[in-house]
Amino acid sequence: MSFQRIWRLKDILLDLVGIRCKDCGYTCYPPKAACPKCSSRNIERIALGSVGKIVSYTVVNVPIEGFENMSPLVIALVETSNGKVLTQLTNVKPEEVRLGMEVEATIRRSAMTLDGYVPYIVKFKPKES
Amino acid sequence: MIAVLSKVFVVGVGMSNVGRFYERPLRDLAAEALFKAIDDASNLLPDFIVVSNMLSSQAEQENLASLIADYCGLRGISGFKVEAACGAGGAAMIAGYSLISSGLANSVAVVGVEKLSERSTPEVARGLAYAADADFEIPYGISFSGLNALVMRHYMDKYDVKRDEMSAWPILMHENGYHNPYAHLRMRITNEDVLKSPIIADPIRLLDSCPMSDGAAAVILASEDVAKKCNDTPILVAGIGNALDSTDISSRFELDSFLAARVSSERALKMAKLTPKDIDIAELHDAYTINGVVTLEDVGFAPKGKGAKYLYDGRFRPGDKPSINPSGGLKSRGHPVGATGIYQVCEVVMQLRKDFPGVKVGGEVGLTQNIGGVGSNITTIILRS
Ligand SMILES: [Zn+2]
Repeated sequence: MSFQRIWRLKDILLDLVGIRCKDCGYTCYPPKAACPKCSSRNIERIALGSVGKIVSYTVVNVPIEGFENMSPLVIALVETSNGKVLTQLTNVKPEEVRLGMEVEATIRRSAMTLDGYVPYIVKFKPKES
Repeated sequence: MIAVLSKVFVVGVGMSNVGRFYERPLRDLAAEALFKAIDDASNLLPDFIVVSNMLSSQAEQENLASLIADYCGLRGISGFKVEAACGAGGAAMIAGYSLISSGLANSVAVVGVEKLSERSTPEVARGLAYAADADFEIPYGISFSGLNALVMRHYMDKYDVKRDEMSAWPILMHENGYHNPYAHLRMRITNEDVLKSPIIADPIRLLDSCPMSDGAAAVILASEDVAKKCNDTPILVAGIGNALDSTDISSRFELDSFLAARVSSERALKMAKLTPKDIDIAELHDAYTINGVVTLEDVGFAPKGKGAKYLYDGRFRPGDKPSINPSGGLKSRGHPVGATGIYQVCEVVMQLRKDFPGVKVGGEVGLTQNIGGVGSNITTIILRS
């Protein structure tokens, strides 16, 4: 992943921008150019929201090139009211993660890009009650 | 209705061993498989070559059809490469099938080749991750194993499937692959071996994962007229179907099954006028245990949530209908990514001809299913003797 690529995507990645189909109401993330359910191009961009529940998770011990120093990576699929998002978890020990756990978005450092920059990215942390 | 202008037959197959061949270049692996297939087809020289591959840029070589055709003495024939991530082999079979059924070619060599041992594991893992959604998944560092782990955890939780039930998959694959002389990992494993193997991406353990392999496999496809002249045991390509799903897993309609596995097999079975009950032997794409289990269900060999339980209770072994992965599957035979879909076709053709050199299961109808990405580009093929 290059810095330019992250920069191009920054608005979507930092605000978690998905889509809603104005014809059938389907919502999802990441954004598409047309609705995955009904093929309509009559779509609008929406914010996913910053809170959700963990529907699946994994602890990656062998990450891809560039993320070796961040492992183990705790990765989760978080379901918000407007769709699911694949994300990294923070502020939590791998053994504390549970299915159904409530989490909220936060901005954190990601791994250095292959061209040497440190981007910020949305991660999720356990929701403070 | 699909108009088939000419029937398409497999008249020759050839495979290299699967493994890590630091001393052998990509073209050499491809030539071994292609020459074996041509010899098997009574020296039928193809009009056309379709090469399937995913990561040749990591071996610093593109333009593979020209490279392989020229290296193998076929300069001047037609050809191109097909890429569909790990599903390239199945996609290349569709290209080869179409060339013959349309009359554009009378014989086509479909050659799958992959050379992953040129690069370190993190580099290859990054290359494979490009089959996922690079913009929205790679920024989090998730590997292909990690994406499949998300599916596996969700599946086991939703259907209350136990670790031991899932482990029945790799145990059977290694038992079958132990007898396959082409296989990358020829060793038997126990339930305890699975439990003690390192965690790659929880809950996926090392022994849930296929090895990253080098290898090449080739088939010669021919029209009915040509097939009659060059082979006593032509195998009919009775059905072939492909389906796509999202590259990202966030926006999947379902997380516990692969839509493209279900739809592509429905398409292939409909074309062959068959049902899952008619299949004697299947080679499924078990890059990870979860892929094998989920596709058992999506093809229709087990009800939803029951694939691993059926396997744990003794189903799908050699001689059952269907026998699943007598080759040992990706787990034991190995996963030479872009070549895997062609290995599967070679293996099922040899089973139907009764000359497969490993576990023989017999039967008249076989199915192969080749997956690209995390279930995002899937081809299912029905073969008949
Ligand atoms: Zn819609």
